[in-house]
Amino acid sequence: MDVSLKMDEPVAESLLDTTNQNIVSQPVDRVEGPLKVSGTARYSAEYKFPGLLHGVLVSAPMGKGRILKIDAGSIEKLPGIVTVITDYDTFLRNPAQGQDEEAPEQGVRDVSYFGQPVALVVGESFEAARHGAQRIALDMRPDEGRFDFAARKHMAEPKKRSRKAQGDLDAALAAAHATIDAIWTTPSQTSAAMEPHAGIAVWEDNKLTLYGSYQMLASDRLQLADALGLKPEQVRIVARYVGGGFGGKLGISAESVAAAVAAMRLNRPVRVVMTRQQVTEATVRRSNTEQRIRLGADAEGRLTAVAHETITANLDRSSFSEPASASTQFLYGGQARLFLNSIVRMDQLLSASMRAPGEAVGMLALECAMDELAETLGMDPVALRLRNIPARHPMDGLPFSSRSLAECLEIGARDFGWSDRDPRPAQRREGDWWIGVGMAAAARSNMLIKSSARVMLAPDGTAVVETDLTDIGTGSYTILAQITAELLGLPVSSVEVRLGDTDFPPSSGSGGSFGAASAGSSVYLACESLRQEIAEKLGIAPKDLVLTEGMARHGNVSRPLHEILSGPLTAIGTIEPGEMEEKFVQAGFGAHFCEVGVNAHSGEVRVRRMESTFAAGRILNEKTATSQCLGGMVFGIGAALTEDLMHDPRNGAIVNHDLAEYHVPVNADIPALKVRFLEERDEKANPLFAKGIGELGISGAGAAVANAIYNACGVRVRDYPITLDKLIEKLPPA
Amino acid sequence: MTDPANAIRFILNDAEIALDTLPATQTLLDFLRLDRRLRGTKEGCAEGDCGACTVLVGRLTEAGLVYEPVNACIRFTGSLNATHVVTIEHLSVPNGPLHPVQQAMVDHHGSQCGFCTPGFVMALYALWMGTPQPSRTEVEKALQGNLCRCTGYAPIIRAAQAVAGEPGADPLVAHRQAMADRLAGLRNTDRIEVGSGKDRVIVPASVDDLADAYAENPGATIVAGATDVGLWVTKFMRDIGPLIFVSHLPELHRVSDADGVVTLGAAVSYREAEAALVARIPALSGLWNRIGGEQVRAMGTVGGNIANGSPIGDTPPPLIALGATVTLRRGQERRTLPLEDFFIAYGKQDRQQGEFVESVAVPHLPTGEHLGCYKIAKRREEDISSLLGAFRVKVEAGTVTSARIAFGGMAATPKRAKAVEAALVGQPWSEATVLAALPAFAEDFQPITDMRASAAYRLLVAQNLLRRFFAETQGRAERLVRQVA
Ligand SMILES: Cc1cc2nc3c(=O)[nH]c(=O)nc-3n(C[C@H](O)[C@H](O)[C@H](O)COP(=O)(O)OP(=O)(O)OC[C@H]3O[C@@H](n4cnc5c(N)ncnc54)[C@H](O)[C@@H]3O)c2cc1C
Ligand code: FES
Ligand code: FES
Repeated sequence: MDVSLKMDEPVAESLLDTTNQNIVSQPVDRVEGPLKVSGTARYSAEYKFPGLLHGVLVSAPMGKGRILKIDAGSIEKLPGIVTVITDYDTFLRNPAQGQDEEAPEQGVRDVSYFGQPVALVVGESFEAARHGAQRIALDMRPDEGRFDFAARKHMAEPKKRSRKAQGDLDAALAAAHATIDAIWTTPSQTSAAMEPHAGIAVWEDNKLTLYGSYQMLASDRLQLADALGLKPEQVRIVARYVGGGFGGKLGISAESVAAAVAAMRLNRPVRVVMTRQQVTEATVRRSNTEQRIRLGADAEGRLTAVAHETITANLDRSSFSEPASASTQFLYGGQARLFLNSIVRMDQLLSASMRAPGEAVGMLALECAMDELAETLGMDPVALRLRNIPARHPMDGLPFSSRSLAECLEIGARDFGWSDRDPRPAQRREGDWWIGVGMAAAARSNMLIKSSARVMLAPDGTAVVETDLTDIGTGSYTILAQITAELLGLPVSSVEVRLGDTDFPPSSGSGGSFGAASAGSSVYLACESLRQEIAEKLGIAPKDLVLTEGMARHGNVSRPLHEILSGPLTAIGTIEPGEMEEKFVQAGFGAHFCEVGVNAHSGEVRVRRMESTFAAGRILNEKTATSQCLGGMVFGIGAALTEDLMHDPRNGAIVNHDLAEYHVPVNADIPALKVRFLEERDEKANPLFAKGIGELGISGAGAAVANAIYNACGVRVRDYPITLDKLIEKLPPA
Repeated sequence: MTDPANAIRFILNDAEIALDTLPATQTLLDFLRLDRRLRGTKEGCAEGDCGACTVLVGRLTEAGLVYEPVNACIRFTGSLNATHVVTIEHLSVPNGPLHPVQQAMVDHHGSQCGFCTPGFVMALYALWMGTPQPSRTEVEKALQGNLCRCTGYAPIIRAAQAVAGEPGADPLVAHRQAMADRLAGLRNTDRIEVGSGKDRVIVPASVDDLADAYAENPGATIVAGATDVGLWVTKFMRDIGPLIFVSHLPELHRVSDADGVVTLGAAVSYREAEAALVARIPALSGLWNRIGGEQVRAMGTVGGNIANGSPIGDTPPPLIALGATVTLRRGQERRTLPLEDFFIAYGKQDRQQGEFVESVAVPHLPTGEHLGCYKIAKRREEDISSLLGAFRVKVEAGTVTSARIAFGGMAATPKRAKAVEAALVGQPWSEATVLAALPAFAEDFQPITDMRASAAYRLLVAQNLLRRFFAETQGRAERLVRQVA
């Protein structure tokens, strides 16, 4: 049976609260864990095919210009070279944005950024192809490019529909008792998922199968089909295991189109794996931002004015702009408000969504501005935030679906020992180190995306779940198995979850923290429908049905499933967003507390401890949710202290295009982190009463670090990341 | 037919491998993934940074068979003669029980996307074999060379501390002697030479044979741990053949400690040097723990660090401060020179064609003298130094009677701060003297601005480090202790 639910109304009761199997919310181990720890989980580039060819992308060694000729003849005689694939019109200029239904901009004769892939060298072996790609002669005409953000930012153009204003900002600021008006800058960042982008394209019977490393297969398939001029039905994408995404794998990118073109031309399977350098140079980045924040407050610390304006960069004709003010718009009150995003056109790598687009960098600015405001007012930063939690959305007046921000702040402060803090900076010295503490709030919008899943229940008490959702490390396999096990009364081990294949019902995909809740809801609906069918067969009301340990029970009667079912039962559940998202503001909230040391001699910063408290509706699996939050907090620490993708101002090339020089945090950068979840249920979000968790951890985390640095040593750095050289000259005498 | 005498022979998990042809610069990772289709070992960066490619390599040492974690992505297949390569596939059979290390990773949720996981498992396996109940510090050290973008590390560290079982029952430990005997049989008594022209691998039979081989092939590249050379191939695609491997030569692994001098053979790894050198000169321990990660410390050598001649190599400054000398050899000729004289200019060392580094001699720190060594880098671990300062002073009756100060990252070569030294010698060892000496840094160094730090930062921090060193000699400085869960 096919069932669907549009979230137009709150869900009165969630089955998860009544089935009592005690499986959901439990810290169940990752079901695919054994495959991953033994190296047998198969990632996309690892499938075997007879006759497999290897392709290596040729990257343009200039930032702007035109390819006049790619001289295939210069390498075709090298051993092992099969051919050079050039298709100036079909190859992607840049990857697609997530959820787009069409191909991204195609055409590579004109080079729009340094490292843009322009051709594919195909060899019988990887070594041969790599050798060829390195040797191939490119005839090009370099042009003048736009590489200097600082010099160009005055040309930024407002992004359509990004301006939101209310009240008289200037008057409110003029009348305010205390104001903050400052600019924060954040650098470009890269997702740096550990698995490089990689794919194998197989062309057979007029159908293309791509084993790719992607997050959102349903839309990826549409993009890929469109790019190749195929019908969506002719394209299948398989991504059973994805080695991390963080936004970097939302839309299709160069390697898969190149592999597909080659496979279709040569009629042989073709594998293309990007090098780490190519991933960094030729997939996507988070744009650098310049953010101006203006805050005004009265003498009691009530905000009267809030403005958050952001300038980001992007390629021509790419409309994405990091929505840095996303949470600023609803986190705190204040009557006069202004939000605006502007885009500077640059000949640099595409800007797109990286983990928590918006909040990840917007909160680095907002939450430091709040810290500065608290200091100006002589108020405790926690108290300032508590005072400004708005009753309703400050602009459209909508109520919040659920919000435990105050509790997160209060409980978090208590557990951390916040009241011991000395608000005066540079007061605590331990040996070489200035010690300080800081805090920040966290907020991340919750989203529901249309999603379908099929659940099959067999008479032997086993179930199979199928959806094209991916598991990029988030725990999708486990959570969907838990939901199914809970609702059908089976042990988790009797549920097989099949993911990552466009042959399965289309899902939300993994992105924007909506995967677990959206796909989980579709599984919930399918299971609910199966329960109804069983109840019907037993002639009882669904609410009287108890499914447990492979048995159906009602009253005192208990029967094994195989007595009730003559064959497998199947249902497809589909969840869709509805009026609930227009009538309520939906978001997860939290609070971070952090302690750092700043070395008095060198300016090195060490995070000593960090404790964060979150509320995001029902926590479906405490282990996977905790992991998600820890990972997010580490992203936040990286953003605050080390991550900085640097462009060469002469040609836009990314100077630190590898993991040696792009500094993701290493384990020693990370102290003991603590995560706590508060009980919450959100019946307006979805039938699971859960909200997204994957990006909440990053939101605000870096700001807590920055505020702690200020408290430690009295230096405010508004230009992220806060590296030792930015601190050193302003440190108090050692 | 494979000519057994002239092939690279090693054991891969259970299988004996003999290669009489191979691309000279083929990496172990490509051999595993592409040739052998062992895909459990992952490639995340191909340059030693991420640890996803970690495998164990067992090799014979004077203390018997030792298993060490290495980065397969920068280790050359040709360097593996008489070793036992152990990959993730060796830990458990499909659908069989997991190895205790793997089980702990499952139990503690140490794997999310899973791509880094086999590398972490192998790094932890290496740790567990030697240290079944590691402290948090030991775990952190063992995992320095592994990056994870998903987990935030905490779950992995918990897993590491919760591995059950006794290593005694582990097959590698239980069969160590039998494997050692097998490997002994694979050792080469004659030179192995595979391939031709530039695409050639040379595995000398002894140091004398190395001297001959290098004299015959002066254009060859000597490869010790390959932690620099590996990147020339995987990252810079340089054509560097033929390759002469040296790390298998027992003579070059010798460490002696006699007459107040620790002498390290050129192939002594960081890990091997630690026991003798750091035990003797404890001031080096902080630095030692911050060179690369465990894999790089197992592969990389002090000799290679010196021979590579980088201005930001970590060992030259402290070794210069200690008055180390380096012995070079060509054919049967040897000469010994102070280490500081070995570095002539950027990319240029005092090394003649056909000459190789045979050993490095490091005098002990005389009792009563102070040594301080500080590595400043943007990231806590696995990072190249922005600058590194090594300070040594002798204070007699309150007066500085000698000073040797050397820096990396401040000039085109590792270099002494002679003006600063002069400003200290003969003066009382006091805050006032230190402050008065600070301007001398600008005489010694005109550092550059690059990605790692600005010139101004370098100059300022170099001065601060002297102040910190002074404070340390007064017993004032403390290390930062992080909260441990
Ligand atoms: C991830 C990573 C992290 C690193 N971190 C650090 C760090 O923190 N600090 C640091 O200083 N370095 C670091 N390095 C660089 C490198 O590890 C060191 O320079 C190491 O000491 C080099 O030793 P090796 O044996 O690997 O040398 P190889 O790579 O084998 O050789 C290096 C050079 O020395 C030459 N050479 C080697 N042996 C001899 C010999 N006997 N005679 C003559 N020439 C010889 C080679 O021909 C080559 O030119 C890092 C490298 C990596 C990959
Ligand atoms: S692949 Fe990253 S260290 Fe080897
Ligand atoms: S689990 Fe994804 S990188 Fe470690």
